[in-house]
Amino acid sequence: MSTNKRRIAINVGAGYVPGINAVVTGAAIAASKLGWEMVGIRDGFDGLLHPDRYSDGGLVSLSPLLIENLDPSAGGVLGQAARIDPFHVRQVNEDNMVEEVDMSDALIERLKAENIDALISVVGGQGLSILYKLQRKGLNTVCIPRSVDNDIASTMVSFGFNTALSFTIDMLDRARQGARSARKIAVVEVQGAHTGWLALQAGIAACADAVLIPEIPCDLKLLAGKLAETLSPTRTFGLVVVAEGTNFITKTQSQTPVSALKASLSPLATGEASDYVIHRSGQAAETVARELQLLIAEETYPMVIGPWVRGGTPTAVDRQLGMAYGAGAVQALNAGKEGVMVAFVPPDIRFVPLAEAINKVRTVPADSEFLKIAQSLGIFVGNKEAAL
Amino acid sequence: MKSQTINPSEMTGTVLNIQRYCSHDGPGIRTTVFLKGCSLRCKWCGNPESIRAKPELSYDASKCTGKKACGLCLKAPFPEGAFYVVEGDDDKVKVNWHLAMDCDDSHASLCPTGALEMFGKRMTVSEVLDEVEKDSSFYRNTGGGITLSGGECMLQPDFSAALLAGAHERGINTAIETACNVPWSYVEKVLPHVDTMLHDHKLTIPERHKKWTGASNERILENFKRAYETYPNIDFIARTPLIPGVNSDEEHIRAVLAFIRPYKNVIDYELLPYHRFGLGKYELLGEVYELDDYKTPSNELVQRLQAIIDEAFGRSAQPA
Repeated sequence: MSTNKRRIAINVGAGYVPGINAVVTGAAIAASKLGWEMVGIRDGFDGLLHPDRYSDGGLVSLSPLLIENLDPSAGGVLGQAARIDPFHVRQVNEDNMVEEVDMSDALIERLKAENIDALISVVGGQGLSILYKLQRKGLNTVCIPRSVDNDIASTMVSFGFNTALSFTIDMLDRARQGARSARKIAVVEVQGAHTGWLALQAGIAACADAVLIPEIPCDLKLLAGKLAETLSPTRTFGLVVVAEGTNFITKTQSQTPVSALKASLSPLATGEASDYVIHRSGQAAETVARELQLLIAEETYPMVIGPWVRGGTPTAVDRQLGMAYGAGAVQALNAGKEGVMVAFVPPDIRFVPLAEAINKVRTVPADSEFLKIAQSLGIFVGNKEAAL
Repeated sequence: MKSQTINPSEMTGTVLNIQRYCSHDGPGIRTTVFLKGCSLRCKWCGNPESIRAKPELSYDASKCTGKKACGLCLKAPFPEGAFYVVEGDDDKVKVNWHLAMDCDDSHASLCPTGALEMFGKRMTVSEVLDEVEKDSSFYRNTGGGITLSGGECMLQPDFSAALLAGAHERGINTAIETACNVPWSYVEKVLPHVDTMLHDHKLTIPERHKKWTGASNERILENFKRAYETYPNIDFIARTPLIPGVNSDEEHIRAVLAFIRPYKNVIDYELLPYHRFGLGKYELLGEVYELDDYKTPSNELVQRLQAIIDEAFGRSAQPA
């Protein structure tokens, strides 16, 4: 264990994920046990790059006293910026002209000036690439993955996912009750642009009739057939769970030509004819509900859970994970690791080089146990082959 | 130290594109020279490839033949991690735009299929004018000429001034398209060489202007007024890119008319109905188009607002 007193910082990338305070708490306590000083950077990198905007200079001393009084069950004490890219900071210059400025050098200089020798960054997939780029410029950094979709490769579970899952299950239960009383088919869209973990796991828990995920292109005619089999005079309702990135084997009436823009934004996109293209929130549910309505007699209606999952109180699992990730990042620094992402690969906490963590998405594999469970429960998962 | 004089015709600027046979960028048939760099970030921008001042990489996935057939961009000299392939059936290259931003022409030129290309290149004044001059006969017959557009052409004030002065020397009529969000020192370099100035009145209220374009419009309006007063011989044509729900209200149109009508050298006010032609270009740059759900304004709306303009200019309403 290092006996040198160090000053390290922690910041959070764009977007709130339940459990952020637990991460900050875990890191700060672990650092204090080593005799290190921990400071938090406000709003991504804004606290460092624009200290004049903050009455406290943009840095929060995460002292043991503050941490003791920090509620790990709510909020994000450090805040987040809309963007966390110091290479392209948009600003209006003194001539009123809008410009994007590379402030990465200024960022590293500011860290040095503050005697901060390492940075723990809590980021999603995009943020990992930016931190990797900063690391190559000399920043000593350890990243903590956060994702409500659980789509970051190299780690089994990102913090925030469990809370999103719990909330989604709760919403699906309500949707199911509503569908039952209305004698209709609820088509509920859940988060999952590139991966179907949330849809699949929540769909299993809520006893959905079908779960549609980005990894398995959906045949809507087969889905209609499956629902027709399920529905009877004594079972007059249905629940279909659709991940927002779901795509379809047959061209649907509402599908517009695939934009290569969206294709390029989607890590799993395959170009002009991409199967992995995200349109916009609600479109997947609208498409499925409308197309199903053309194929079956029962009434269908779309619902969207969407970004509701990004708020709220973290579950017990996410609080534990958050504390573990925070403490794990400090462990990494104490072990002399840098340019790594903390990964939870049960039962271990591991440190994965950022170069290996970027450009990958954690998808549901074809032989996933969750798919097998869904199959055994009779849940339709997109096509005949997968449902067998 | 001995000062060096640069021959204006050898001066260089960053040019995005030279487009011939344009009929909506000033009088007659014109050649429009798009310069790179813009000082606003309009959310509806139809030329996103013109925003950054430097040449930049674009990627067209439809032209990529994939890792097995090519895979050149997956190794040096391309930046590590900038291009990658996701395991699976499809082996087309994906772009990590955070890491690919630093690629330049030396990288793009290695792509054998043209999937990677650069938007923008350095050109001299004489190179641009030689290209423009090819259509001189059209200009003579139609009253056309050269139009500098962008981006914001006045962000390269010396290059723009040299281009326009050079065009005049060759007997070519000149026009510019500008939002005028630049220091007056830039404006006064360029305008002495301009015959027609097409200029945007995007939004009236400063806060709304800032919200939708990134900067407030106080300095822009100040520049417009000063330009109208300082250059009485320029034909000024005001324009509004008409974005439904953003600036398509009568109040904005009437406010622009109130601003321009006192000046007799503002000879017209045109509406440019919002279109989505630029959407595909965002994809080539790996950027998000924020107005994805916006639609073009209805003919009825455009005609109603046009009637207000026609009335202000003392014209009878245009037939539907």
